[in-house]
Amino acid sequence: MRDFALAPELEELRAAAERLGRAELAPNVRDAEAAGRWPDGVLDVLDGFPLGGLDVPESLGGVDAGLLAKVVILETLAQFDPSGLPGADRPGATTGALIACPDQALAAEVAASCLDGSAQSAFTVIDPDNGSTGIDWAPAWPALRWIWAMENDTLRLLEVTGTVEPVIALAFQASGSVRVGFDQTTERGRWELSPRVALEVRGRARLWGAAICVGIAQAALEETIEYTMDRVVFGKPVAHHQGNAFDIAYVAARVHAARLVVRDAAASFDRGERDAGFWATQAWLEVREAAFHATNVGIQLLGGHGFIVDHLAEKRFREARHLAMAVGGLDAAEFDVAAEVLDVPDALLASLEQR
Amino acid sequence: MIELDAKTLAMMEEIRSLGRTHIRPMGLEADRTATPPPVDHEFYLICTRQGGLVSKMIGADEGPTALDWKPVRNFLIGEECAYWDRGVALSLPGPGLGGPALRNTGTPEQRQRFLSIFEDHSKARWGAMAMTEPEAGSDVARIKTRARKDGDEWVLNGQKMFCSNSARADWVVVWATIDPALGRGGHRAFVVERGTPGFEIIKVEHKMGSRGYETASFVLEDCRIPGDNLLGGEAFYEAKKGFKASMATFNMTRPLHTAHGVGMGRAAHDFALDFVRNEYPAQGRRRQRALERLARIRRGLHTARLMYLNAVWLAKNGQSNAMEASYAKMYSPPVILEAVAAALDILGEAGVRNDKMLEKLYRDVKILDIGEGTQQVQRHVVARQMLKFPMD
Repeated sequence: MRDFALAPELEELRAAAERLGRAELAPNVRDAEAAGRWPDGVLDVLDGFPLGGLDVPESLGGVDAGLLAKVVILETLAQFDPSGLPGADRPGATTGALIACPDQALAAEVAASCLDGSAQSAFTVIDPDNGSTGIDWAPAWPALRWIWAMENDTLRLLEVTGTVEPVIALAFQASGSVRVGFDQTTERGRWELSPRVALEVRGRARLWGAAICVGIAQAALEETIEYTMDRVVFGKPVAHHQGNAFDIAYVAARVHAARLVVRDAAASFDRGERDAGFWATQAWLEVREAAFHATNVGIQLLGGHGFIVDHLAEKRFREARHLAMAVGGLDAAEFDVAAEVLDVPDALLASLEQR
Repeated sequence: MIELDAKTLAMMEEIRSLGRTHIRPMGLEADRTATPPPVDHEFYLICTRQGGLVSKMIGADEGPTALDWKPVRNFLIGEECAYWDRGVALSLPGPGLGGPALRNTGTPEQRQRFLSIFEDHSKARWGAMAMTEPEAGSDVARIKTRARKDGDEWVLNGQKMFCSNSARADWVVVWATIDPALGRGGHRAFVVERGTPGFEIIKVEHKMGSRGYETASFVLEDCRIPGDNLLGGEAFYEAKKGFKASMATFNMTRPLHTAHGVGMGRAAHDFALDFVRNEYPAQGRRRQRALERLARIRRGLHTARLMYLNAVWLAKNGQSNAMEASYAKMYSPPVILEAVAAALDILGEAGVRNDKMLEKLYRDVKILDIGEGTQQVQRHVVARQMLKFPMD
């Protein structure tokens, strides 16, 4: 039967991430944004975790602790500051592509450069109807070298050989922001994946963003509670006006649900289940709604304070939306689940006879 | 994938088989006639016979009075029963909503006395629980049914309504107050047995949906019950556990509501899925819209299922689950109503026809957002714990 408890070693790791986040990330959020990167000391600790290699197989140089471990650590760190995570976590959202890449020698080369901190990698989904001329956002550090581009079920590995262009982006300033045209890259490989494996690649990438969104939503909820319990309007705390209290309660339920679906989908990958990519995409769809809701309420109930940079509500509002655009955004995800929905059995009752 | 053990799988198979042959046809018949199945319906006897459904659901391995029951399994079975018809599922013989109250609060002697009757497989038997009153629905702290000690007996006076299966129950767990001025601290739970003078059913409600089970009102007029029918005994309440006990009951029944909702949502999903497979064009915009709707339904149901399993898992492991139970009960009913509505959208105008079943599900499912604490009550519960939201 399902066990919702984290294994003791993972709980230990989560607690360590929480300590790091509380001590090193939370006090320096705005400084890191201004600097465009997290402090070297923090990055050294994260490389030692190792954050990037947690869910990477040993054959590719990782520690193979599993995707559940990865999402738990991502959501924990993101609660304190997600802004530097895209830069710090390598290969991050591209781990699924590394695992699925039929040329494992090439994948190992890519993984090694990411894990040793010399290269950044990014993942993008190309709309088959409209095409794409490049990748519109990627972390600026370490230097972007690898782009995994997926069009339908075709996976391409592009190596950046030309110039990247700095851009100003909606969020994640502590990771920096660049765009690069595909004409500035050289194709290192192109593979036709099966639809199921292709969805796994996209699902893993989506789950990476979903885990960070859970942390952002949790942080938004906590700040909303703290502020609305303290701030008094019309003779009582903001939180004690029923309309506001009900909104906060609903946010809490949605954040709880979001955490459950992300961890469930991650565990589904770890168990090697056939439809893990489908459930990961479903989880991401759930989380992007929940995170938008939590961060929007997070601003709304702070009123004008939510709109100014003295609080982090506005930052979380931007971050949740920024991540929601990843991996082809809403349309690609809805296409993916719609394409599979007739063939994916009930997660619980698959082994029972067909009705 | 959630792993089910062999015994649970076997039971699910049994429910599925009974669902096809009995539960759904009975539900459709009850809906058309607006009358729940009679107490002597052959299916209820099937459920109670040796090795049958009821003894398994209440944990035959452990004995029906054991505390070491199998909540996760029972909730999954509840989901599957509701897939076929929630109304009939709620009408199944057994301790019903009185079961959690007895298990959580009852003394070993009381559990033996009131739960062991279900070991008699010669006839169908029911238990029930009564909390709601004409002037105390969501705010259960305001119940007015009075309990007065008179010698070795308790005397109950008041009225209860919206009480499932009470008209056919062998006993009803009745919540009353020894003194309204004590608020929640005055709450007590009593077991009132059928036939007790002063206990009278006054009305069986006519409902929009969920017609497979009786929803009844009853009065208690100088209803005298033995002193040892006070659930948990005097010592239990001296420790000021009365209201907490009723809330602990809700912490199990709220996730069960969610489990039922998942089952009903699955039924709507499967109906719409078959419609898309058999009636829709093989490609095109309309089909794409339907598939996206189906995927959204699946997402909501999967999330709701994880939420109720999480709440039950916490309870099973002895951890507090009040928040998680309310999260599940708050999140799920709107999602499930939306799922049934989306399934109707997939069928289009054909969906309104009674023979398509979806219109019935649409009527049936709304009660999920009302029973066992409305959507608004769940938000109150969470707000009280999370925000110290004041109680007036």
